[in-house]
Amino acid sequence: MARLQTPAEMARKLENARRWFELVPPEGVPIRFEVAGIAARFGAQLLDILITVVVMVSVILLLAVLPFTIEPLVTSLAAILMLVIRAPYYILTELFWNGQTVGKRATGLRVLGADGRGLTTHAVVARNLMKEVEIFMPGTMLIVSGSLGTVWNLILLVWIAIVLIIPLTNSKRQRLGDLIANTYVTCRPKAVLLPDLSTSTPRIEFDFAPAQLEHYGSFELQTLESLLRSRSETRRSDLRRRDSLVQVAAQIRYKIGFEEPVPDGRAHEFLHAFYTAQRAFLEQKRMFGDVRDDKHHRDGD
Amino acid sequence: MSDSQPIRSSRFRAEREADWRALEALVERVESGGAGRLDFEESRALAALYRKATTSLSVARDISLDKSLLIYLETLVARAFLAVYAPQESLSGVMGRFFGGSASAAVRRSGWAILMAFAALFLGGWVAALLFAQDPAWFYTFVPTGLAGERGPGASTETLRAGLFDTEGNLLAQLGAFAAFLFSHNTRVALFSFALGVFACVPSLLLTLYNGLILGAFWALYADRGLGMELFGWLSIHGVTELSALALAAAGGFRLGLAVLFPGGLSRKDSLRASSKDAVKLALVAALMLFVAGLLEGFARQLITDTTLRIVMGWGIGLLWLGWFMLAGRRAR
Repeated sequence: MARLQTPAEMARKLENARRWFELVPPEGVPIRFEVAGIAARFGAQLLDILITVVVMVSVILLLAVLPFTIEPLVTSLAAILMLVIRAPYYILTELFWNGQTVGKRATGLRVLGADGRGLTTHAVVARNLMKEVEIFMPGTMLIVSGSLGTVWNLILLVWIAIVLIIPLTNSKRQRLGDLIANTYVTCRPKAVLLPDLSTSTPRIEFDFAPAQLEHYGSFELQTLESLLRSRSETRRSDLRRRDSLVQVAAQIRYKIGFEEPVPDGRAHEFLHAFYTAQRAFLEQKRMFGDVRDDKHHRDGD
Repeated sequence: MSDSQPIRSSRFRAEREADWRALEALVERVESGGAGRLDFEESRALAALYRKATTSLSVARDISLDKSLLIYLETLVARAFLAVYAPQESLSGVMGRFFGGSASAAVRRSGWAILMAFAALFLGGWVAALLFAQDPAWFYTFVPTGLAGERGPGASTETLRAGLFDTEGNLLAQLGAFAAFLFSHNTRVALFSFALGVFACVPSLLLTLYNGLILGAFWALYADRGLGMELFGWLSIHGVTELSALALAAAGGFRLGLAVLFPGGLSRKDSLRASSKDAVKLALVAALMLFVAGLLEGFARQLITDTTLRIVMGWGIGLLWLGWFMLAGRRAR
């Protein structure tokens, strides 16, 4: 049977596909945050623009209801209103909602100060003023680009290209305003505390000799943890899960030379016991400075 | 391996789990409604539990191989960090600090950059006036046709005079003039000369110089027709504020450019960040001044047609700006 990728390879690849950055708060323990994806940031921006445009249009409609003839002024009025509504909207929401505009709330994003000491007013103002220059000025020029000359269109093209390329060239996906204000944008972290696998089954009926626990490292252990924690919703996937449990149990027994027979029905129990024993063993080793990242005893990367 | 003695990292977890859960509950409340939701005891508990959780995370990274526990702790500490280190600002506090000292202090610190901007402006004006004296056709070289309108060397003195004292038009037309102004030439120049200052000051300098050239060309034209004083009045009422705004915006650009050119002991990135603190404030002040200049140009200039009154009002407002920049926040230092 030709397999494209082993589960272990896939897991490693998935982990590497996500980007992280670390902040060091005054407490001195580095905290890990995930870098927000381009798509989410684009979505948040779109939603914010939509909100400001709706407010702007409703103000203009309100003015139109009043006895003024504003027809000849609509475009310049719209441009002013956008500026007057937009800049304070971004600055005040990010300042008072701890780095979140309405759009960022909806997409689960947040702005962070890169120095680990919280957002400052200066950072919020700087990154949003740069947004005017970076996004909205070329944006409004793009709308009227038909009436601009070739030279201006070329400048506009180069400008937009630079603005789009900068976030892609740095690992933390900072746009120009983020670089100047020294801020990052992160996804809102969320996780629930799952029960401890090593204590959730009280009876352990398998015994392992220390020599049998020498074979694996923490990567394999954590892969096994994911397998044990996985839940199956449908009958078919439940069957598949049982199947893979039996396979994994057989593979581990073969590898560590576990003689005692394990019936298919108890594969889960066996793996559970092995997980507990292996974790205790590896954690013990770790305490004495022997860190085993995976079965090849790699020192981590 | 025995049933009675759980492994070390499980004991570690069992001892601290209650604290984590309490912290999680507090963080959830802050996330949904801000730190104002917590009373005094709870905020103290939040800070204490957050510090405990960072210690737990630090220990767990070393001793535990339970992946789900590590992920949970990482996110819990991250969320608690965000709750604890949220900006604690109020609108009145931010505004009070900006107007009460931080903006004027930034202006005072940028004295040389502002002087540089004004020097460029005057140099441009001087050169344009000299060139105009040689050949009035230079006017068309400096002044874009859209800005000049029917004003130019070809126009009659009467047309020029009428342009200075135009009082026709209702409130709406004035609003239109104001609107058109805000997005006209000067705002764009201010924005560009600020934003492009990063490129070693050169674009800002050229823009300011160019603006001076336009001004000088106009000046020379009107002076040539004996309307120098009237133009001075016409320009003063909004121009004092507006040209100062341009100079401040350019000075903001210069601060950025100078930080890139002469970073001193810092890296260029750090030096740019440090100077951006003042530059951003200069840009905000310039934006405020442009807004005021727009109001003056749209309304006051149309309502007041007496040259002396125009001059007095324009320079009086200029004096108010100067007073703010020089005096605000001095005592606090």
